[in-house]
Order: sequence, then C-alpha cells, then structure tokens
Amino acid sequence: MPSTLRIAFRNLGRNGRRTALALVAIAIAQTAVLAIDGLMNGWVEASLEAMTGPMMGHAQLHHPDWREERGPDLVIEDADATLARIRALPDVESAYARIYAPALAAREVDGRAVVVVGVDIAAERGPGGLLAGLPEGAIPDARGALVGSRLAREAGLSVGDELALLGQGADGSFANDLVRVSGVLQTPIDLVNRMGVIVHLETARDVFVMPGQAHEINVRGAGAPDEAPALVAALRGVEGADALEILTWRELAPQLSQFIDIAGVYGLVVMMIVFIAAAAGVANTMLMATFERRRELGMLLSLGTSPGRLVRIVLAEAVILGLFGVALGTLLGAGLVLYQGAVGVDPTTWGNQEESMDVAMYGLNWAATIHPYLRPADVLPGFVGVSVVSVVAALWPALITARLEPMEAMRG
Amino acid sequence: MERSIRAGGAALAVALLLTFAPTGSAQAPPDLDRVTRTLDDLFRSSASVGRIELTVVTPRGTRTMRMRMWSRGEDRALIVVEAPARDQGTATLRRDRNLWNYLPRISRTIRVPPSMMLSSWMGTDLTNDDLTQSSTFREDFTGQVVGRAEGGGWTIRYDANEGVVGLWRRIEYDVDDAAALPLRARYFDRRMRLARVMRFEDVRVMDGRRIPTRLVLEPQDREGHRTEMRYLEMDFDASVPESTFSLTELERPR
Repeated sequence: MPSTLRIAFRNLGRNGRRTALALVAIAIAQTAVLAIDGLMNGWVEASLEAMTGPMMGHAQLHHPDWREERGPDLVIEDADATLARIRALPDVESAYARIYAPALAAREVDGRAVVVVGVDIAAERGPGGLLAGLPEGAIPDARGALVGSRLAREAGLSVGDELALLGQGADGSFANDLVRVSGVLQTPIDLVNRMGVIVHLETARDVFVMPGQAHEINVRGAGAPDEAPALVAALRGVEGADALEILTWRELAPQLSQFIDIAGVYGLVVMMIVFIAAAAGVANTMLMATFERRRELGMLLSLGTSPGRLVRIVLAEAVILGLFGVALGTLLGAGLVLYQGAVGVDPTTWGNQEESMDVAMYGLNWAATIHPYLRPADVLPGFVGVSVVSVVAALWPALITARLEPMEAMRG
Repeated sequence: MERSIRAGGAALAVALLLTFAPTGSAQAPPDLDRVTRTLDDLFRSSASVGRIELTVVTPRGTRTMRMRMWSRGEDRALIVVEAPARDQGTATLRRDRNLWNYLPRISRTIRVPPSMMLSSWMGTDLTNDDLTQSSTFREDFTGQVVGRAEGGGWTIRYDANEGVVGLWRRIEYDVDDAAALPLRARYFDRRMRLARVMRFEDVRVMDGRRIPTRLVLEPQDREGHRTEMRYLEMDFDASVPESTFSLTELERPR
C-alpha cells in the first residue's frame, strides 16, 4: 500500500496542470457549499433575532384578555414581584415589564396617534431589550421621553420639545401629562419607530394610573428561541403567573413563525441545488481526468500491473485529490464566510439597488445586512459529499479501464 | 336556487300581507315620513343646554361621569366634565367635523386627528366619530317599514344612501305602537354585521318634550361593555352664543 500511495503522489505530480484543475474544481465546490451554508445560517439567525429580539422576546405574559381587547385596565397585577420571581428562574436570560398605552400626543394643538410604551429603560438597554445599545447618557429623566424616528420626522419633533399626552387610565380616567422629548429612537420595530413614545415604566404607571402594574412581561430564555415551549412550562409554575396568558413567540406570531419555516425549506432546496451543481462539476473533472489517462493506464496493465492495483492507484489519487481539494475549499469557504460575517452582506444591494434598504415585514424592520457564519458541523456534509463524489467519479472510468485488454486500453 | 326562490316567495307573501292588511286598526303600520321626522328631531334644537350623566360599564367595573353640555344647530357642541373631581374641567369642543379636547391639569388643548375618529371618546363606547356626526335619516338614508317588531311596536329599516360616507350601512329602529318614540336601534356596519344596539328607556317629559332620558349603548363586539347616557336636565330652547364654541371658551378656567 505505501508503494501505491507513493505512485499515486508521483502520478499527481507528473501532470501538475490536471491535478491543479481537479483540486480547484473540488475546492470551488466546497467553497460554494460553505458560502451558501453561511448565508443561510446568517439569514435564519437574523430573522429569528429580528423576531424574537426586542419586541417579541421568547415568551410573553399578559392578562388573559389583553391581546384581544387591549383594554388599558387589562393589567398584570403586582407585576414587579412576579417579574422578580421570573428573573430568578434558571432558564431565563432576561425579563422586562412593559406598559403599552394608546394615546393622543401633541406638540402644539394637532394631536397624533401614538403608543406610550412604559419600560424599565435602564434594564432594557441590555441585550435583547427594546433599547439594546442605548448609551447611558441617552436615558431620559423621569419626565423625559424617547420618540420613534418616523414619529419624530412626521410630527416635526425634536429634542427638547414638550409633548402633551392624552390617553385613558386603567381606572377609566383621562390620563394626561406633559413629557419632554429627550431623544429620537431608531429601533428594529416599525411600530415603535412610527408611533412609539418611550417613557420610564414608573412614569407610565403614574400617568395611566397603574400602580405596580404592567400590560406585558416579556421574557427571553437562556436557550435558543426554539426552546420557548420549555420556557413557558417553567413560567407557568411561577407564583403570580398562573392566572396569566403565557405564550411562546411562535404562538404570538404564527404567520411569522410559519414564514421562517418555509424560508428554511427554500434555503434547503437552494442548498441542494448548489450541492448537486458542485458535485456535477467535480464528477465531470474527475471523469475527464481519468478517461484522459486510458492509454497510460493500459500501458501499466500491459507492463503487468494487476487490474486491482491499478484501481487502487487511481483510488488513492482520487482520495488524495478529494481530501486536499475539500480542505482547500474549506479554508477558502471558511475564510470567505468569516470575512462576510465580519463586514456583513446586504442582499438588497445585489440587484440594481444602489442603496441598502431595510426590509419591513410583519411590522418588524429586518436589517437587510446578514452576517453569515458557520458551525463546525456545516463543514461535514461538503467534506463527505464532495470527496465521495470525486472518488466515485474517478473510480468508475478506472474500473472500466482495468477490465479491458491492455492492448485495447492503450489504443484508447 | 330553490332556497332563494322560496325566500323570495316568503318575502312576496309578507309584502302582500302588508299591502292588504286591514287598515284603520290599531295595528296599522306607521307613516314612514312621520317616523323619520320623529327620529331626526327627537333631540334636535337650534340651541340647547343640558346636563348628562355617562356611565361606562365594563366587565371589570363601572365609572360614572357627569357633564354639562351646550349645543347650537347641528355642528356645534361643547361638553365639560363636572365629575368625578379628578377629571373636572376636561372639555370637548366640536365644530363641524373637528374635535378638540382640553385638559385643565396640563393646560393643553389637543385636536383629535382624523385617524383617531373611530377611537373611543373619553373611554366610553362612543367614538369621536359619533360626536361629529350630523347625518339625518331624511337626507342620508332610505327608510322602509319592515313590520311588527319583536316585543311590540314597529320596525323601520334605514339603509344608507349610495355615496354616503359613514360607518353604518343599515340602522334598524324599533318604535312604539304610536311611532312617537324609539325603543331600540340596531346598527349594522359596512359588512352588514350587527355592531351596536342602542336602547331608549325611561321616557319622561323634559323641557316640554317627551323623550327617552336614558340611552343604553351596547357594542356587540365587546361582551359586558355598555355605555349609558342619562339626561339629567335639558333646555331645548336656550340661547347659546356662537362664541361658546371657540378655543378660547374651551380653555376658559372653570
């Protein structure tokens, strides 16, 4: 066997051009598979992140009728105590209490429909929070408000403006107050950009007469978004949560969740097509390279090389080519994906679009930029698939040649 | 097909019965024009001053407000909250299709934008749109006497005229036997779904007019919700100057 390997290496070295061509074909196949893989991973993650990110969380708790009716008085009582117990759960990464109160807002006299969102501003600056990444200096004071970017543009609001709010208190009274615009906010959530007036939870509680109450507790699990059902099961055991409606993000937005699943299937189909195309390229290259050597192989046969040995030599060559090619492709592909992951890919600029546009869907702004990435396991299908294809494609003509009479083979 | 023929046959039979029903009895169908005028003019006046009590009932609680109101013609109204104390002085001004809310606590006036016309007015089951409506059955609807109402009286059907922009495609009124007072009204939306039912109760003579003094509004899509309007006092022939309905007057300290 060592001599077989040696001969195989020597054969590969003898025709550098052919070897290089085969290596490149195999490497490109693996690179393409990895690049698509990376894009798919990045896209799925970006979508899941957009969806289960700041607005939705992995699970939500509400008064059982709140989602249907949105009545201001459909509240979670004693929200802080329940929230503390939820935060103490081991499966919970973060949890936030929120108030959503529709209101009229006016800088001067013309009112405009807004949603006053009361949040724990300091806490929601953390990962997964509505205000993730908000610098500390931008935290408004007790009477300050952050307004959505589109709302600010359309209503002509700028920092320092006084905004009159009129809504309905949880007790039915006229909730009205003045807040000062302390910042303009661009979030991934369309609703917040269009209608959001974000104030401190305590301010909202004060204005809308909701002492210690909230409309929503938004929970993000420590695990992946798809572990939400287990998270919900854990939440059901929390004291104070038993009378509430607890739903996973998939239950909260079934169409969105379905959309992700369908997109995943499309991705798989694209992946298969790329894989088949890559395999065909490799097969073609290897087939041609081996057929080309029929005379040479026939010569070896006529010199007394046994057919079995001949096949073993070609097999060894193919395995070496396959392994080196895939390794090279993995390096190239991983490098490409790493690079893309670092700088981000924006498919919306691939057509005739010059400018990137964020994709708004289901009320969420999906950042158009994707950050592709690879998991170690993603290398495997290409590694196995591409090298198996290259070996089979080389072996087949070798087997045919080995079965021929030496003279016949040499005549080509 | 067969079904629709049968239904058509039934309708024809009813129509024939109505046409040839013996006249002169107590059960004679009312005159449509007279009913329409009655309904249109029930609370109408060139200028009025009154006091009403609004009770908002939800499955979770009840809230009562007392308000004073001034009106002039069909498109001027000013409503000021007198009680509860927390909301005292909160006021709504209507001029034509515009609504302003004045909030004394923050001394600010906010105009209700067109996009909020279908939102609740002051937390009741009434919408801002209800306050700015000035359609009449005479002009905007086509009436038809349907027949005897369930539980007595007559049912009159009003279908919105082609081209009339409004929330209601059909409004059905049950009126009493004398066709002098409404008993119930059923409002059907653009998709012909029953959206709200209004009951007219507690008939009394107020400032010389015999009117139902309690109106109960039940939205059909929100179980357990209801808004009651009770007329506490009404002066249908008040003199109310046009200047009452100005932003200055709206913001006047009370």
